[in-house]
Amino acid sequence: MDSDCLSLLPAVCLVLADPKQAPPDDTSLEKLLDWFKELHSQSNGQVLLQDQPCLLEFISSVCTSETTDPAILSFTLKLTGLLAATKQGFHLLEEGGLLLCAFEREACYVCDLWEDASVRSGWLQGLLNMLKHQKSLDFICRNGLIKVVLQLQNDRSLFVASLANQLLVHILNFLTSSSTTNGSDAVGSSVSSLRSDWVSVSSEIMNAVVEALSSEDHPQVLRGLRLLSLVLSQCGEPIRSMLWKDVLVPLEVLIKRGSESLTQTLMTVLQAADTSARPVEELLEAMLGDGNRKECFQCAALVVKLEKCPEVSKRKATGIILLPLQCVSTQPQTEIETYLVLNEQLSQKASCISLLMQSLSSLAELAHRKFLFEDISIHSITSSVVWLLRMCSGQCPSSLLRINASIHLIGCCKVQRCGLDTLGALSVYEENVDLRKDIFGVLLDYLQSPDSHATVLKKTFQAAVRWIAVCSPFPDLLQFISHDLFPVLEKRMCDLRWEVRDSTLEFITQLTTALNGNSGFTEALHTSGMVSVLLSSLADTEGYVRASAVAAVGEAVTASFHHAATERNSSLLEKALTQMMIALSQDTEGFPRRAVVKAFTSWLKGSHPVTALESSLSSVLSLGGNDFDWEVKMHTLELAEVLMEKTLTCCPYIVQNVDFSEKTRLTQALSRLKDYGLFDLLFNSLLDCDRPVCEKACALLVRLRTLTAETADLDHSALVLNVCGNRWGDEVQSRYLNKQQA
Amino acid sequence: MKLYCLSGHPTLPCNVLKFKSTTIMLDCGLDTTAALYFLPLPLVHSPRLSKLPGWVSKDGAVNLEKELKECSGRVFVDSQPEFCLPEKELLDLSTIDVILISNYHCMMALPYITEHTGFTGTVYATEPTLQIGRLLMEELVTFMERVPKAQAATCWKNKEIQRLLPGPLKDAVDVWSWRKCYSVQEVNSALSKVQLVGYSQKELFGAVQVTPLSSGYSLGSSNWIIQSHYEKVSYVSGSSLLTTHPQPMEQSSLKNSDVLILTGLTQIPTANPDGMLGEFCSNLAMTIRAGGNVLVPCYSSGVIYDLLECLYQFMDSANLGSTPFYFISPVANSSLEFSQIFAEWLCQNKQSKVYLPEPPFPHAELIQTNKLKHYPSIHGDFSSEFRQPCVVFTGHPSLRFGDVVHFMELWGKSSLNTIIFTEPDFSYLDALAPYQPLAMKCVYCPIDTRLNFHQVSKLLKDIQPLHVVCPEPYTQPPPAQPHRSDLMLELQPPPMAYRRCSVLGLPFRRRYERIHLLPELARSLVPSEIKAGVSVATVSAVLQSKDNKHVLQPVPKPAPVPPSKKRKRVTEEPPEVLNPKPLLSGAVPLEPFLAMLHKNGITEVKVEETADGHILHLQTEDVLIQLEEDATHIICDNNEPLRKPGSELLCG
Repeated sequence: MDSDCLSLLPAVCLVLADPKQAPPDDTSLEKLLDWFKELHSQSNGQVLLQDQPCLLEFISSVCTSETTDPAILSFTLKLTGLLAATKQGFHLLEEGGLLLCAFEREACYVCDLWEDASVRSGWLQGLLNMLKHQKSLDFICRNGLIKVVLQLQNDRSLFVASLANQLLVHILNFLTSSSTTNGSDAVGSSVSSLRSDWVSVSSEIMNAVVEALSSEDHPQVLRGLRLLSLVLSQCGEPIRSMLWKDVLVPLEVLIKRGSESLTQTLMTVLQAADTSARPVEELLEAMLGDGNRKECFQCAALVVKLEKCPEVSKRKATGIILLPLQCVSTQPQTEIETYLVLNEQLSQKASCISLLMQSLSSLAELAHRKFLFEDISIHSITSSVVWLLRMCSGQCPSSLLRINASIHLIGCCKVQRCGLDTLGALSVYEENVDLRKDIFGVLLDYLQSPDSHATVLKKTFQAAVRWIAVCSPFPDLLQFISHDLFPVLEKRMCDLRWEVRDSTLEFITQLTTALNGNSGFTEALHTSGMVSVLLSSLADTEGYVRASAVAAVGEAVTASFHHAATERNSSLLEKALTQMMIALSQDTEGFPRRAVVKAFTSWLKGSHPVTALESSLSSVLSLGGNDFDWEVKMHTLELAEVLMEKTLTCCPYIVQNVDFSEKTRLTQALSRLKDYGLFDLLFNSLLDCDRPVCEKACALLVRLRTLTAETADLDHSALVLNVCGNRWGDEVQSRYLNKQQA
Repeated sequence: MKLYCLSGHPTLPCNVLKFKSTTIMLDCGLDTTAALYFLPLPLVHSPRLSKLPGWVSKDGAVNLEKELKECSGRVFVDSQPEFCLPEKELLDLSTIDVILISNYHCMMALPYITEHTGFTGTVYATEPTLQIGRLLMEELVTFMERVPKAQAATCWKNKEIQRLLPGPLKDAVDVWSWRKCYSVQEVNSALSKVQLVGYSQKELFGAVQVTPLSSGYSLGSSNWIIQSHYEKVSYVSGSSLLTTHPQPMEQSSLKNSDVLILTGLTQIPTANPDGMLGEFCSNLAMTIRAGGNVLVPCYSSGVIYDLLECLYQFMDSANLGSTPFYFISPVANSSLEFSQIFAEWLCQNKQSKVYLPEPPFPHAELIQTNKLKHYPSIHGDFSSEFRQPCVVFTGHPSLRFGDVVHFMELWGKSSLNTIIFTEPDFSYLDALAPYQPLAMKCVYCPIDTRLNFHQVSKLLKDIQPLHVVCPEPYTQPPPAQPHRSDLMLELQPPPMAYRRCSVLGLPFRRRYERIHLLPELARSLVPSEIKAGVSVATVSAVLQSKDNKHVLQPVPKPAPVPPSKKRKRVTEEPPEVLNPKPLLSGAVPLEPFLAMLHKNGITEVKVEETADGHILHLQTEDVLIQLEEDATHIICDNNEPLRKPGSELLCG
């Protein structure tokens, strides 16, 4: 195909170079460039340029024309860079004077084309493409292009500025890597390890960074910091240490000056620098300050997230980031009252909410890593979160009377969601189980409150599952579930909002899974009438809810498998099977049907054989295999896979007889699979219009073949013929022909 | 300007505004919570209620067996329920010129005011307010008259006896002013005095103009603007910013008020109507699914329309489409029909349906499909068609009278059934007191769509009234939640709070009056320009003030001397045109005036600063000169020789 395309290339070049032709859109130019990249990676530039002299002509004509379209020029610059990425290509282009023509500084300013951001971006991209060998770097240095790149760092287009940054980092990296390949020891070495003519290049770039950081102009400082963080994170030695040494003083000045809008970028710089180094620790210390500055909270939130961070800084940051939470929700402490800035911020709605959210999410982050709090007990922290959640639902006043934060917080969904997430995360601390009464109390309040937003309820459920899992050994949990939780869940399953009904059912499923094997819970599930509510939810008007109800019923049935077969359990299974088969055959939406097949798969996977399922399996395979929804078909094939495994390996459904030979056993198992309609399903799916379905069916058939070939002590095709009455090849062929005729 | 507060109830207001010699009553709400002290009136004989023991004091000294019955550990009055009327003694109600009604819930005391007080004025209300108000009154009367009580209990009201009664009867206040329900004749007579008005229609009443504005709370509900040429008082009663069935609230016309009287905020500020509606639906669905019945005690108009609309959508989605709804009220039919015909008073969405043509409310479809059936009472057709499980909407929300009493007796014993309270007017625990012990589930989801504190603060920020007057409870957090400082009005200047029987002088200075010049007087004026565009003229005229209208008339000429025959007839001399004398205006500058006095030999002057200006005491002369912003008085005890020079000195 490439040769066909190459034959068209001269004509394409002519069209592109013709200023009278309307330029093609950017996408096609990008595609063309991608094709060149692919070609370039396959061969080398020399061959392409030598074989296609039209390219040289094209570049020359575009770069010298005064009426070129900016998009074409940009494309040409990128292409020229790409072609110059090999030494041979570079040589050919330089020989023809095309490189200079394309990238020379003066050439760029022709006809105001430079004003177009796409041209500037193409110019930078071209240089970036080219920078694969020393000659290219020499070319850049020799022609003083570094200055232009440094200028472009301040470009009004964000894309151009970011590309300029990348190019600068790439140049610096190239300097060090070239030195390394030249045999000098890069790591831990100094400037002397760089080629002497390149020292000036690196100094020029690094001086620019230092100059930007010392500037009074805010955007310039920001750009300097961005380049600095890129260099620190992407460049090797000796550049990193050289630059770090130079920027330390201006960084200190910046941090002392304290500007909230720089905090994030400054932290990225510190993160990119080696955070364990002493100067970084001092800088972090300076940024955190005494906790009485506006920006220190954001800084503390970022420090808490740092993976590698000096312990001292982390502890200090933790102390600071917990302040807003403590200030709002614990008893007034005189020392807290000294934080004037914090008090002021908590008295304004927007900053109060944002601070508390920062505080809560940092706490969740710490809990996620099971951080060990030293200065403050985890009990007190968890109690603060519980108190805050109560305040958000209007039940408690804020503790500091001077700061009436509760006015801002009552009914604030953002803080509620964040608080519930954090409360869930705090379940990792074992000592918190002592507070379970309070925690379940506040969770229950949220579940009961008519004003709880659907998303808040979802978070409440998530937190509740975590806490229930942690508290499962405690006997009072069952009391809580059956007396307090179930009535609320029952009401929530009748909620006006389908999202709430859906998340309630999901919660019940998770709850049943989490307490799997707990006979008390299963008992409560039945005696409280929850099971009948679940069964009635199978008829919900919303497809998603029906799907969740199917999953919940499925899990409830699984839970009942663990206990002795009682009349109640078999009645539940019977009802569930009837309703699920109705759903699979009649439900107009895919989600519930998928859920039904998944429930069967899960039952079958379970360790308890359920003979009652047998009668339904062939219907499920047949209905699922003929479904319109490809995902239902996929799930059906997964069910078939499990069925195959169970039948062929352990055969739970066959009466084991030691006298049976391997062959008899296998024949019986295959016959059984045939009775279930498994082969019909697989052969039909093999010809399905959806590729994943065909592939899955094919994979299963191959597995069956391998299994029979390995296990049987005689010709497997005879075995297959014996069971199925037809050879597989013939079977597939006949089905294919039937389908074609149909 | 004065405000007489005849009711302290924040949502059932009754205030009288005296403004420019006009006496305007703002609403006349009837507080029916007194009915909670009475035993329920059963429609069908109730063996339980009829066998209740009478109350005798422990020592046997007081025996009120016939009047008071003990029921479920509480004592109730066994008599026809009575209601607490607006205060009648605070001012002479016969002097009321006009009554402005905001909504049909705030007019239930109208017959008590118009019928026996010598009232001769006019009542202004919108058409839906009148019609639905009439329905509610007729329903109330029917509820009472259907179950007549042979005698009224009065002995217990005796102060000495009441003191000995158990709570909460012991603590009931003003029991002697409680009255029985009015009659149909009184209702008809009272309503005949109503003059209908439309939104934004300006009605002139003497010197004031009254204008109703849509308040968004119920069909035809209004706020009122009461204004003269230079003063504006806004009266905001039950208003809502939620999108329910009525026309949305008109806010912009309330701007620039001198005084805003704010009543009728939500009674349950912590309950968000949307959340409550959700609670209502889920509890209803839960009960029906479990095979129980749902009883909704409610008024026959108002939130019920929204409830039916919500259920119309919900029941199908909850797979409860076959459950019947019954609406039982003597006025059920009229209420459902009236709601459909007041298209112009509905929200835009519902108005546009009329042109499709479709009924604005979906309850028409519920009726057509037999899902909603309405009956005047439990007797008759209802008993034969009644099918369970079902949802019954019926009154009265106090559970003391109406068909609801029967359903309480019928369903109260089963825990499968649920009673859902949606009306916020009554404490549900008090309402349920005579039915204890009760097995049926009780759910309290008060749906009050009226403005909450958050909405009202925003509204007040927008319309910026100079002064706000409101019931006392709005100026402090709810007693049960003292930490909720967000549930009160915090304004600058602080609102003026009132309670029952308060008389407030409104902080209102009338600065200007409009005065008409008669043409002949105007003709005689000679304006002279004192600076570009400003001319002045001296006027000598007679000021006639009548009905708050002021007219300047020419000075009547002295009666002509009867012409004597002897004298020649003299032609009347043309009036002498005089240039105006120099006129003084503005405040008197203190320092130069003191200097002037000094110059004229008055040296002993004691200057005292007052709120409005200064008082100068000329000690030797014993003269007081009061210098105020807009007035100067020389008080010199009839010492004319001293006054004149003083006056001349002042005039400079």
